[in-house]
Amino acid sequence: MATIDLVDVRKTYPGGAEVIHGLDLAIADGELLVLVGPSGCGKSTLLRMIAGLETVTGGTIAIGERPVNKVEPADRDIAMVFQNYALYPHMSVRGNLEYGLKNRNTPRDVIDARVAEAAEMLEITPFLDRKPRQLSGGQRQRVAMGRALVRQPKAFLFDEPLSNLDAKLRGQMRIEIKRLQRALKTTSVYVTHDQMEAMTLADRLVVMNSGRIEQVGTPIELYERPATVFVAGFIGSPPMNFIELGAFPSDVQSSLSRQATGADLVGVRPETIVFESPDSDAIRLECQIELIEPVGAESHVHVRWNEQRLVVECRGHPGFSEGQTQAFYLNPSALHFFDQASGQASRAAS
Amino acid sequence: MVENRPWLNVLTHCVLVLGVIIVALPVYLAFIASTHGPTEFLQGIVPLLPGPHLLENYGEVLTQGMTTSGAPPLLNMLANSTLMALIIVVGKISISIISAYAIVYFRFPLRTLAFWVIFITLMLPVEVRIIPTFKVVADLGMLNSYAGLTIPLIASATATFLFRQFFLTVPDELMEAARVDGAGPLKFFRDILLPLSRTNIAALSVILFIYGWIQYLWPLLVTTDPKYYTIVMGIKRMATVADSDPKWNLVMAAVVLAMIPPVFVVIAMQRLFVKGLVETEK
Ligand SMILES: Nc1ncnc2c1ncn2[C@@H]1O[C@H](COP(=O)(O)OP(=O)(O)OP(=O)(O)O)[C@@H](O)[C@H]1O
Ligand SMILES: [Mg+2]
Repeated sequence: MATIDLVDVRKTYPGGAEVIHGLDLAIADGELLVLVGPSGCGKSTLLRMIAGLETVTGGTIAIGERPVNKVEPADRDIAMVFQNYALYPHMSVRGNLEYGLKNRNTPRDVIDARVAEAAEMLEITPFLDRKPRQLSGGQRQRVAMGRALVRQPKAFLFDEPLSNLDAKLRGQMRIEIKRLQRALKTTSVYVTHDQMEAMTLADRLVVMNSGRIEQVGTPIELYERPATVFVAGFIGSPPMNFIELGAFPSDVQSSLSRQATGADLVGVRPETIVFESPDSDAIRLECQIELIEPVGAESHVHVRWNEQRLVVECRGHPGFSEGQTQAFYLNPSALHFFDQASGQASRAAS
Repeated sequence: MVENRPWLNVLTHCVLVLGVIIVALPVYLAFIASTHGPTEFLQGIVPLLPGPHLLENYGEVLTQGMTTSGAPPLLNMLANSTLMALIIVVGKISISIISAYAIVYFRFPLRTLAFWVIFITLMLPVEVRIIPTFKVVADLGMLNSYAGLTIPLIASATATFLFRQFFLTVPDELMEAARVDGAGPLKFFRDILLPLSRTNIAALSVILFIYGWIQYLWPLLVTTDPKYYTIVMGIKRMATVADSDPKWNLVMAAVVLAMIPPVFVVIAMQRLFVKGLVETEK
């Protein structure tokens, strides 16, 4: 159990440009913090710096208030779960689980007890004597988790641990990780680029973009009040629609700019666009339906409004046909306003 | 072959049988020759059936050697060859696996230079550098010693190279996982890299054993004391005699005996050897 504090952390790879640009982050004790961001934004680099697998070229990292910049990974008391599991191929599952404990000269009976407990928790007891190659992907993933669990470290670090699994298994394991983390209350940092995983797992979510933090907050905060255009577009599926303020008729423009002064970009979540005429001051858009994607409980309707492409999420299967013209309504109170130049949300006026 | 045509079957079998005959006939003839008395060959007819002198011939070469041509008892030479081949196997593998480990896993100054220097020695097998090597060995007083027989042959880059290629295929995460698990460089090497290289080591051992066993030129140069003669050069010695015809029956007995250890090694290591060549356990 420990906090993890990053102060002005920077990383420059030898012979490369800076990839983490002065990043501050305080991870609370027992928290499950998820790092999301597009590929190449530096999530893995950051995680590996916390693990001690990459050197820190600027700033400090402290685990449980102890600065660890110069501390070997093994002495940081962290455990890491790798994307490709990195199980030792020549050791049995038991051997894999035990290895870290043996290296720390843990007494035999403690090792046995912990391995048995972890195996029980992850339901891998029947495979303890098999080699990793005799296991399915999901089972290997559990073993990798088990290897982290038995150590009872101060923190778990996960680098996209589920991305090699199929969608269904990913869903199951996600729930299991959350349950385990709740039970153990171990501080955890979880890297993923799957925003579904990020939203459902996180106590707090960190959205990163090219080596910087865009926003930190609970998943709902980030969804409801994105601080930047980037976060707004990154969180939520299908992604938020962006419409330039100037594209609206002038009366709408003036009423909208009263809501948020200085904003020149309007964000609309696909799920807030409706096609039944609501009572109040909704903004009416006359759209042409281009494509309908039914996805079970809802449908994603791709429409064109003037020159603008929008996505609308409708419950069930509205009886639209492709090519037809249809009126959609935006609820002004559900809109997000941004300043294009700075990329920041503008929500001063209300 | 997916096809299953009878005439094709016959053809493939013929080719295989032919191949076996080409390889096996000389071996068979050598064996037959080693079972006859000394006079049979002087008539110029090669016998095709075993003769009555098997035990007698083998006993003689093993215990007495061939005094007329200065060949010591074969038992002694067999032991020398085995020792030499084993030292080469162990020496080469230990040195090359350690240097490959250093080159792949550590970032030290002049690492690239070290790698290229090793790489360049690939172009300099013993035969090419034999005179300077001989001079060095002679100056160091290592003529007529096991050290002189083996050390110059141990220093070579092939095995380092093979291990380097193998280590490069081991995923980095394995090393990182081990680091997180508290394994230092030596533990990682011992607990993870070495077991993973098991099949490679086995395959290389077979190749290197035979390499050491068939050395001819180098032992011929550095040994003048019969105590250190190896079997391959011994055979040559037996076959060239000054004033009389060589005793072919005894030479052939020595040849057959010289073949046994490599064959034994190959058979014993066959399973691992094939595994090491065709698959890497990852
Ligand atoms: N060893 C390295 N040397 C130089 N540059 C590197 C190295 N490793 C990563 N980078 C660069 O650092 C940046 C961040 O990489 P990182 O692996 O952290 O991305 P990521 O967010 O984990 O992406 P992904 O989601 O694809 O895993 C990338 O631009 C990458 O090119
Ligand atoms: Mg990554």
